[in-house]
Amino acid sequence: MISLRGVSLVYPNGVRALDNVSLEIGKGDFVFLVGHSGTGKSSLLRLLYREANSTAGEIVVDGIRVDRLRRNRVPALRRHLGVVFQDFKLLTDKTVWENVAFAMQVTGAHTRDVMRQVPRVLDLVGLSHKSRMYPNELSGGEQQRAAIARALVNNPKILLCDEPTGNLDPVNTTEITALLQRINLKGTTVVVATHNQAVVDRMRRRVVRLEDGRITTDEERGYYYLGLGQGQVLSG
Amino acid sequence: MDSGKVKFFLGEVLRNFSRNTGMQVTAIGTVAITIVLLGLFLFVRAALADAGNRLLDQIEISAYLRPDATSAQAAAIGGFLAQDPRIASAQFVPKRQGLAELRARTRGAIDTELLTENPLPDKFRIKVRQPEQVDSVAATVRRLTGVDNVVYGQKIVQRLLALGGVLRRVGIGLILAFVGVASIIISNTIRLTVFARRREIAIMQLVGATNTYIRLPFICEGLLDGLIGALVALALLAGARAALWPRLLEALPWVQLRAMPVDARILAVQLIVTGVAIGVFASWISVGRYLRT
Repeated sequence: MISLRGVSLVYPNGVRALDNVSLEIGKGDFVFLVGHSGTGKSSLLRLLYREANSTAGEIVVDGIRVDRLRRNRVPALRRHLGVVFQDFKLLTDKTVWENVAFAMQVTGAHTRDVMRQVPRVLDLVGLSHKSRMYPNELSGGEQQRAAIARALVNNPKILLCDEPTGNLDPVNTTEITALLQRINLKGTTVVVATHNQAVVDRMRRRVVRLEDGRITTDEERGYYYLGLGQGQVLSG
Repeated sequence: MDSGKVKFFLGEVLRNFSRNTGMQVTAIGTVAITIVLLGLFLFVRAALADAGNRLLDQIEISAYLRPDATSAQAAAIGGFLAQDPRIASAQFVPKRQGLAELRARTRGAIDTELLTENPLPDKFRIKVRQPEQVDSVAATVRRLTGVDNVVYGQKIVQRLLALGGVLRRVGIGLILAFVGVASIIISNTIRLTVFARRREIAIMQLVGATNTYIRLPFICEGLLDGLIGALVALALLAGARAALWPRLLEALPWVQLRAMPVDARILAVQLIVTGVAIGVFASWISVGRYLRT
């Protein structure tokens, strides 16, 4: 579903964000990207939805050569992907319903499909009863659920999450994590960049660790810290 | 047709449009001023061209024959003039008719009864097809054998032709300057809207809206600015014409202005198209610049 081969990313200011990264993610996988801030987790995600483009290497997402994609084909790529951020990126002057519908409307979806699809995803994230509220009237967890609903409304095969729980308290973090797991069980490939140890350690899913723009480990059922189990704390 | 889609789109455009009312008014006002100037220019130019053409139409060349010219020479000249394609008409006026015309024109101010002989020579009265050709026709006629003197309103012709050229250049310069100013103001207005909506644009790009789709509401906003500005300008121009033009006609009867020297419908269409074009062009430029980065 996602394949990176020898991918490097050097930003115009000379910062080397990724260095010769190779990674395979299969259909229906659930993958955590972990590592300190500035190790290239977000950069890697940005390459997948072509917010940035690699300076070397080959990137394939859902059969599309993303690194060679022409600019006018980028919108088509993004309709196959859902992206969720730490800061939700909801429009404050639109209701939850309008925020979710917006993602369909601006891609030219038929009103009939909007009317069918929006209630379905709102139900999936458990926000049906708050669809008429504005983002500022919701808790952080509810806002993130609205953002996830928006990311899912176009039925993407892949959901990319950049620190989805970074702004949430533990209770909401647990809710969002459970929601991501449910979405994954329905067959969606989920990639989560995070430095929330609790989330990673509780889920025990595939963990890809980045350090200074390189993948250092890739474990099938990993912990946040290398070689440590749940409840153990790294001193120092 | 998907009415929900249309409703959503129009809603977005109207929300944009009502967001920066102050800037919107500025943009519309600048378009209006530009279009008023353009309208004035086109109207006045048409009026002057019209009046000038009438004056030029009335200009005729009088080719006086030498007193000793024979009737054979006169006939030869007449035949030559009849063949020249630049000449609309050439009429032979014998000296007796010339005197009668003079008498009629002066209405007795000159007592022609006192004349013992007719002092006027025979002449040809020549009208040309194109006012610009008066000079060259006069030069040709002057060289004909038997022609003594050629008289026409040289100065008037030259001045009218020169004035037309100057007016055109000054007018076009002024209009271009204002079109530039209006474009800059509209593009700044649109840029403010773009800035106010940068989060929405980012999300649209994120969920896969095409650049064309993202651009469309802003283009519509610019189009509305241009259209409303042009309509305001048309109303101002129509009002001004109704209030001022009749007085000007009265004040300057000798200029021979017409009540309506241009086709009002054609002028209105020209002005509206110009206003809309300015709006669309300016917004296209400013959104394009944003989307590229």
